[in-house]
Amino acid sequence: MEDWRRIDIDAFDPESGRLTAQDLIPPYVQQTDPQAVQQQISQLKSFATSGDINSALQLATSDPPYGADDSTKALYFRAVLETLTQVRQADIANVVKQLQPQQQDVLIKYLYRGMSIPEGQRQGGILLAWFEKLTQVAGVQPVMHYLTDRRTV
Amino acid sequence: MSQSLRPYLTAVRYSLEAALTLSNFSSQEVERHNRPEVEVPNTSAELLLQPIHISRNENEQVLIESSVNSVRVSIKVKQADEIEQILVHKFTRFLEQRAESFYILRRSPMPGFSISFLITNKHTETMKTGKLVDFIIEFMEEVDKEISEMKLFLNARARFVAEAYLDQFVY
Repeated sequence: MEDWRRIDIDAFDPESGRLTAQDLIPPYVQQTDPQAVQQQISQLKSFATSGDINSALQLATSDPPYGADDSTKALYFRAVLETLTQVRQADIANVVKQLQPQQQDVLIKYLYRGMSIPEGQRQGGILLAWFEKLTQVAGVQPVMHYLTDRRTV
Repeated sequence: MSQSLRPYLTAVRYSLEAALTLSNFSSQEVERHNRPEVEVPNTSAELLLQPIHISRNENEQVLIESSVNSVRVSIKVKQADEIEQILVHKFTRFLEQRAESFYILRRSPMPGFSISFLITNKHTETMKTGKLVDFIIEFMEEVDKEISEMKLFLNARARFVAEAYLDQFVY
């Protein structure tokens, strides 16, 4: 036992009241089945290739894979990023207007996530255009929700 | 202002406005201490909020890390070549050495960034939050201009010096 005076005994007490990042994820977030996510990805891609951006965005923002593991989330996000970058600048405002407030919150999660990884940073201009249109419609509200929401995409 | 800079600054403005809602919060770990939770090694995850990344491209980024009583804003200034790297380093170092006169400036930047600000609840209580946001936005606008101006000046000066020096060898 070296330096036992410095051992943090509170860490061993299950009732110390300390919370880890895991504890903060709301309990109703269910484990997402990777196969279901795969299906969603292929559906998203088919919407994107047929040019039906509205349906693609509706799909992507209504049921994000909160409960999935990191690699599945990364796969899903890549599909979303591809969809986002395909939209023409002029159409962005119309697409954003169709979204419900909950969907706007999800969209901003994708935008922030995109800007934090190198693949998205290369498309920074497009993501920022989305962000600008979104804040014109919804103001500061989705940003606020992003900050406090513990569920990540 | 150029077309691509405007959305970048708007995004930073909205994100900062949302992040700068701070309250007084005493430390849960140390009695009678009141410290910026974003800066200290934290054992309570609930005090930290989701970090925000905003990037225009790989070379120009902003990272906003927020907590219950403090926000840390790190800015990566555009550095296209080696001269700009040196200039940005000198410039930010000059400011950081005088950090106490800037109140919200952090003495050393976060790794990977050029300059960092640390805003605590003390600052938002004594200063207007809107003006703090304006200051950071204005800083981001000005620093690019400043660096490119310095680069032009440096090049002109180097050319003049080289000409004056090499003149001696012309017969």
